[in-house]
Amino acid sequence: MAYLILSNISKQFGDTYAVRDFNLEVQKGEFVSFLGPSGCGKTTTLRMVAGFESPTNGTITLDGVDITDKAPNQRNMGMIFQSYALFPNMTVTQNIAFGLRVRNMSKADVKERVREMVSLVNLEKHVDKYPFQLSGGQQQRVALARALAIRPGVLLLDEPLSALDAKIRVSLRAQIREIQKKLGITAIFVTHDQEEALSISDRIVVMYEGNVEQVGTPFDIYNFPKTHFVATFVGSLNTAAAEVLDPAKGLLRMDGVQFFTAAKMDGLTKGDKVRIAIRPERFSFASEVKKANIVDCVIENITFLGSVVRVHILIGNSKFTMDTFNYPSLELPKIGAREQVTCSKEAVLILGAAEG
Amino acid sequence: MNSSIGTDTRSNNKIVGGARRPSRFQIGPWLGVLPFFIFSAMFLIGPTLILGYRSLEGTDGALTLDNYRQLTSESVLSAYGMSIRISLTTAILGGLIGFLIAWAVSIGGLPRPFRSLTTTFSGVASNFAGVPLAAAYIFTLGRVGVVTALFKLLGVDLYRSGFSLYSFLGLTLVYLYFQIPLMVLVILPALDGLKREWREAAENLGATPNQYWRDIAFPVLTPSILGTMILLFGNAFGAHATAYALTGGLFNLATLLIGQQISGDVLHNPGLGYAVAMGMVVIMALSILVYSILQRRSERWLR
Amino acid sequence: MTTSVASVQVKTSARKQKLWAWVVFVVGALYFLLPLAATFYWSLRAEKDKLGFEAYRRLFADVNFLPAFSESIVNALAAILLSLLLIVPTAYWVTLRLPKLRPVVEFITLLPFVIPAVVLVFGLIRLYSRPPLLLTATYDSSRVVLICVYAALSFPYVFRSVDNGLRAMDVRALTEAAQSLGANWFTILFRVIFPNLRVALLSGALLTFAIVIGELTIALFMAQHTLGPYMANLTRSKVYEPSAMAIVAFALTWMALGLIQLVGRGQQGQITGGH
Ligand SMILES: Nc1ncnc2c1ncn2[C@@H]1O[C@H](COP(=O)(O)OP(=O)(O)O)[C@@H](O)[C@H]1O
Ligand SMILES: [Mg+2]
Repeated sequence: MAYLILSNISKQFGDTYAVRDFNLEVQKGEFVSFLGPSGCGKTTTLRMVAGFESPTNGTITLDGVDITDKAPNQRNMGMIFQSYALFPNMTVTQNIAFGLRVRNMSKADVKERVREMVSLVNLEKHVDKYPFQLSGGQQQRVALARALAIRPGVLLLDEPLSALDAKIRVSLRAQIREIQKKLGITAIFVTHDQEEALSISDRIVVMYEGNVEQVGTPFDIYNFPKTHFVATFVGSLNTAAAEVLDPAKGLLRMDGVQFFTAAKMDGLTKGDKVRIAIRPERFSFASEVKKANIVDCVIENITFLGSVVRVHILIGNSKFTMDTFNYPSLELPKIGAREQVTCSKEAVLILGAAEG
Repeated sequence: MNSSIGTDTRSNNKIVGGARRPSRFQIGPWLGVLPFFIFSAMFLIGPTLILGYRSLEGTDGALTLDNYRQLTSESVLSAYGMSIRISLTTAILGGLIGFLIAWAVSIGGLPRPFRSLTTTFSGVASNFAGVPLAAAYIFTLGRVGVVTALFKLLGVDLYRSGFSLYSFLGLTLVYLYFQIPLMVLVILPALDGLKREWREAAENLGATPNQYWRDIAFPVLTPSILGTMILLFGNAFGAHATAYALTGGLFNLATLLIGQQISGDVLHNPGLGYAVAMGMVVIMALSILVYSILQRRSERWLR
Repeated sequence: MTTSVASVQVKTSARKQKLWAWVVFVVGALYFLLPLAATFYWSLRAEKDKLGFEAYRRLFADVNFLPAFSESIVNALAAILLSLLLIVPTAYWVTLRLPKLRPVVEFITLLPFVIPAVVLVFGLIRLYSRPPLLLTATYDSSRVVLICVYAALSFPYVFRSVDNGLRAMDVRALTEAAQSLGANWFTILFRVIFPNLRVALLSGALLTFAIVIGELTIALFMAQHTLGPYMANLTRSKVYEPSAMAIVAFALTWMALGLIQLVGRGQQGQITGGH
């Protein structure tokens, strides 16, 4: 049986649902992210797990025990906030020791545990400083140490990196993941940043307007998005309306251009309208490699994005983008030139019936 | 950010190149602030300095500290003592009660409109001092006041049992009418500064609400509470109008003593009068200083 | 089983807290409303055996009331104008060109909190009641000094509110924009800065009005026939009129501060002092 189970959780504020019929099973030691745009109910779900909100419907069980109505200070969960929430009147040591002191742990044990935590997050030099004397990244590491000191059953992180600089965000992200793996602790991580979720998680829950859109590994979520929302929210994506030509062969037509797809086309018949999607990095120039689909295009524009070059192309009358890696020997076509681009069958996704 | 204008002009000059002008002294800004300084010298600083100077003058005109030594004489000491007692009492009581009211309308969970009602009323009440306040209390707790009459109906004669509006207790009640609202106004922002996340983090780590208040909320608020109480102390210590209107200027209070000294030399020593006044300034300055130090400290925390 | 007990405890403790909040609020409200109610009750009792507004009628009919009242209003308006004329340019230049002077200016504007009114008037009398600086020789010259002192007393409020206003509107950018369009500093101050400071100026002015209109101590010792000394005298000599006067004064203060709330929705930064 799973370690943490949320079953049929809903939360209403007045008439509006912040979270609707949320189901999730988290295994012990797993790192799960809630990913979605602002206001989609991530924080609300996390706060129900922490006990700060009580669900309108549904139950939460932890290690086989129903904790739905348990008070937050009885749950033994460590929570990390976007604003760090360090106690301003306490030093780093006192902050980390707080949860242990309220548990009446002996002085010697507290000291030992604090030392352990401080070295875990590499803050040995700052133990006697107050929060206002620390940088944002250091403060968040203190918060992490404070939450971990109580040996929590589940570690809950609500956008812990959003207030930090890009560089620190990436390095602290790696540290959090490393520590989580080392301690084997179960973690739920809330973020609106898809790259963050993809890089850090064992599994991702993509949420939209209070509903779970898809649950899966980063690989699944990125490569096999199940809904239009997931496909467009995670990574960038070209989409276009197409018509089914031959469901058995996986043949489609878009603007008079034919595409083969590996996607299942059960229940579709010739003439059905669908929406297809292709990620920019799945295209290559046909002059370099040849894959199942080879189509003509016109180069409209070229943008440098650093390690990647984004080429805007026109296939039929539809605008697409393709990403190619930027290496010194790269030969780029001229704007306005006619080229051929190629992509595999697997690269062509079907997102369900095309609207309109 | 503040000093960048100066460097801007200089670097502009460099770009313009050629004729290197000496960094030009602009007279305009100084002319703009000059009236303020002259005015302040005439109506704030000058009057205080003259008192300071005269307080150091002996009867023979030579410089001396004699006047300050006489501050320990009975009549001065008792006036200072009463002023300090009333100021301390109303600062502490006003501080505690004001804190409770601010707590009730912010964290306590009363509906939102009660909070804005309370702040507006506090703004009014903290400015409703002087003669009208004294009058209102005379009609409430004076010999023929409404509350006095109500107590009589209940069989209690307040004035027979030792109460008087014109006493320490009475003046304390009156002063609280502007002290409590001042506390509410100053402490509300500090209470708002308590972040919800602190409470939640504490709870999350296993603390009870009491432990949260004892270990986090109160320590965080202490500088603000203490600082504001000191502000209240100064506020009561320098109050003259209310006490004058209530007692006709005859109560034994430092400010009233100075008033009597202005009208006629009741201390029979002008120099001593100046020293009493300067003593007040020193006490007020100290309390404002400690207030601003504590306030700065709590701002650092509540940022 | 234990789980639901815990949650019940949390809920009852929240309810208990709310109950205490109500108790505090109601007791506080009683303390603050009682004197007002009592005074209002007295103000209605001037005629024997019936309630009515006789006390108010008598107050306004008193030959000394309206002159004192109007003199106080004129004094207050003059003090406000003077204070604004002194503070706005100072705050402007201190923000823009003379940041080094800021601590000094801030210190000076706080002096009215440090020097009790009775001490200030003591010093004024000693300084200006004899040559070479004989400024209190006549009633009118004393009145000018009084207005000046009132302006000085308003410095803490006016400076703070103007300073907040300047910070909120980014004076530097506005000034540079105006300069680049060829405006001189006079135009900048009166066409750009003042209009953008409306709310700050108005709330500073209203607070000054509330403090100055019934001021007693300084007016008393400078023998001015303004509202403060008039009210003090009335309290000693009449029975019912003072209650009407207290109610009127309270209404005036309420109006001034209510207007501040109205013009400056959401703007912070008023405190009080100087009684
Ligand atoms: N206490 C509350 N009262 C009313 N509505 C709320 C409350 N908390 C959150 N909501 C609403 O619930 C929705 C989800 O909010 P939240 O969980 O904070 O989103 P996220 O964390 O994904 O950005 C939002 O529309 C928000 O406005
Ligand atoms: Mg959120």
